[in-house]
Amino acid sequence: MSILAYNGGAMVAMKGENCVSIAADRRFGIQAQTVATNFQKIFEMGPHLYVGLPGLATDTQTVMEKLRFRKNLYELKENRRISPKVFSAMLSNMLYEKRFGPFFVEPVVAGLDPKTYEPFICNMDLIGCINLPTDFVVGGTASAQLYGMCEALWEPNLGPDDLFETTSQALINAFDRDAISGWGATVYIIEKDKVTIKNLKTRMD
Amino acid sequence: MLVLCPEVPTPGFSFENCKRNALLENKGFTVPKATKTGTTIVGIIYKDGVILGADTRATEDTTVADKNCEKIHYLAPNICCGAGTAADTEMTTQMIASQLELHKLYTNRVCRVATANQLLKQYLFRYQGHIGAALILGGVDVDGPHLYQIYPHGSSDHLPFITMGSGSLAAMSVFESGWKPNLDEEAGVLLVRNAIAAGVFNDLGSGSNIDVCIIRKGSTDYRRTYDEANKKGIRQASYRYPRGTTRVLSTKIVDVEEVSVQRIEPERMDTA
Amino acid sequence: MSLAEVCGIKEFDSSFNSHTIYQNDVNNLCMNFTNNLELGVPPFANPAENLSRFTKDEAGRDIKMKFDHGTTTLGFMYQGGVVLAVDSRATGGQFIGSQTMKKIVEINDFLLGTLAGGAADCVYWDRVLAKQCRMYELRNRERISVAAASKLMANMVYNYKGMGLSMGMMLAGWDKRGPQLYYVDSEGTRTPGKVFSVGSGSIYAFGVLDSGYQWDLTDEEAYDLGRRAIYHATHRDAYSGGIVRVYHMKSTGWILIDNNDCNDLHYKYQEEKENLENNV
Repeated sequence: MSILAYNGGAMVAMKGENCVSIAADRRFGIQAQTVATNFQKIFEMGPHLYVGLPGLATDTQTVMEKLRFRKNLYELKENRRISPKVFSAMLSNMLYEKRFGPFFVEPVVAGLDPKTYEPFICNMDLIGCINLPTDFVVGGTASAQLYGMCEALWEPNLGPDDLFETTSQALINAFDRDAISGWGATVYIIEKDKVTIKNLKTRMD
Repeated sequence: MLVLCPEVPTPGFSFENCKRNALLENKGFTVPKATKTGTTIVGIIYKDGVILGADTRATEDTTVADKNCEKIHYLAPNICCGAGTAADTEMTTQMIASQLELHKLYTNRVCRVATANQLLKQYLFRYQGHIGAALILGGVDVDGPHLYQIYPHGSSDHLPFITMGSGSLAAMSVFESGWKPNLDEEAGVLLVRNAIAAGVFNDLGSGSNIDVCIIRKGSTDYRRTYDEANKKGIRQASYRYPRGTTRVLSTKIVDVEEVSVQRIEPERMDTA
Repeated sequence: MSLAEVCGIKEFDSSFNSHTIYQNDVNNLCMNFTNNLELGVPPFANPAENLSRFTKDEAGRDIKMKFDHGTTTLGFMYQGGVVLAVDSRATGGQFIGSQTMKKIVEINDFLLGTLAGGAADCVYWDRVLAKQCRMYELRNRERISVAAASKLMANMVYNYKGMGLSMGMMLAGWDKRGPQLYYVDSEGTRTPGKVFSVGSGSIYAFGVLDSGYQWDLTDEEAYDLGRRAIYHATHRDAYSGGIVRVYHMKSTGWILIDNNDCNDLHYKYQEEKENLENNV
């Protein structure tokens, strides 16, 4: 079994029209055993910036804390909000520093640029190779299923409501075919003036 | 290290997770694979300079992770470099690019391709092939056009035409039959396109589009998505879910206030 | 031809054409067509000992010999007979192959078997068992006892011990001696008992089952206990889920009580729990 599949988890982020979404399941398990169903894998890194860290749960939290620390230092030093692009570069460098002893997370970044409100999504592999597509990114143990769902469901210029529906259904239907993710889901829809956070009703087996 | 005031970490690679990861590996967990570029990359020397070409597929094991990634990296205004392990090539070229920029400012001269080659191979040799960057380095300097092939272990070749990556055999068959000295630009670009297309269609690790970069004396012409070898079909119908399909347990809306920037006039320090 | 003569093989041609060689191959490779108790064993000496040496490929990677696994099944006896309850998820590794699998096999009107472990192993051997039981009935003009059926099963799989069979099953029935419940597995264990749970989710199911089990349960209470035990197992165990199926073995034969989606059960039980908390 892969180390990335020790705790399980699924993650997806999508671009929409002037908005982005990021969503994840809520399971924290130890292999087959579901320990908790309220585990947070998506973290706020700014009013318009969120990062999802699927993978080994201990590294999810370690990387999140290291990231928050570095982001705070940047913002204090620069006296301005970090942009998603800069944040991703920072994360990428942080992961690549551990090229020969990596953290077992495959991060997903979603946000709006603090100045232009340009939608931004990206994901990386565990040593920080950035992938910048124009449509959607996925991560976690259900990524094969998510790729399939997203390729079928995603379309350009989705508004926030349709983006929510598309993201949620892609995630739910993907992790319903994965034994070690699911047990609830959280979806963040990030818009210029507000962020909507929804907990979804899903299968609990 | 102090707990309350962490030191700035030392630059370079960190090995602090290695012991833990080796332990996990010994317990029977497999270590996940990093993204590879699969890759067909090529380069040729033609009449006025060099032409580099690359496919745009990035793979994670058998999954296509990125259908349109960039494999031709910038090193200096007159030097480009195609890409093994995706993160390694990206990071290596970024670092060497910054060193070349500093070198340029320091010497006040246009960088030589040989300099870039030397920096890259010395860096890669130091890590004994653990940094999986396989590169084609091309550029034009005072000595004219140059094309280098650099292996992850730090060896390099200076050649008139090069292919690398999993699609290199397919691409090389095109060069072996079609390359000749002093090709004109149009014929050169076509040859590079055909070589990459051979990789895209005959190698499973390569795919999607074709990027081409032409470096002449004094100018660089980067043609991203020069040719779309595999156009995706247009979807006939929409699979969009009607609004309200998803059952929601709870909703929280966070209003993001417009951040107002207040400019505070700097006060003179009282030195009286 | 001349080469064969030089070598002194006169009969070569005739023996080659007679297809006996192929016939032998066909017979050896398809033994279970004629006798379904005989499987083709791996083509090397002492397969039980040596099989483990062939589980890695030339690069040292595991050859995929992991079949559909995880399951939760349970069965218990009480005053009204035997209750069997199972989930319906089939997984291959972490991928969910099916959410609607039938893990209870209806062998005859008075005999039920549950599946846990390798799906193909269970389905195949249950089918063989069903045939054997029917043959017994035709030969002896009476139904086979559960004890005899379970022993048949245990003996059949014991012949392949150590060769990779993986199954843990319960046999429930009602014969001349009343209700019966047996546990049989691929290691050769066969044991009668009152309360069993088998599969990756069994530890969770036992937790519920043991705390709620009494001999004097009413039928409804018994069904609910089985259902709850399986539901709680599906909630905690990643490799169990889908539909909870409950069967009841009575003196008049088995009946299917109901099939409930785990999803419906979860939100029903959650509502009940909330109501209970509000009333306190």
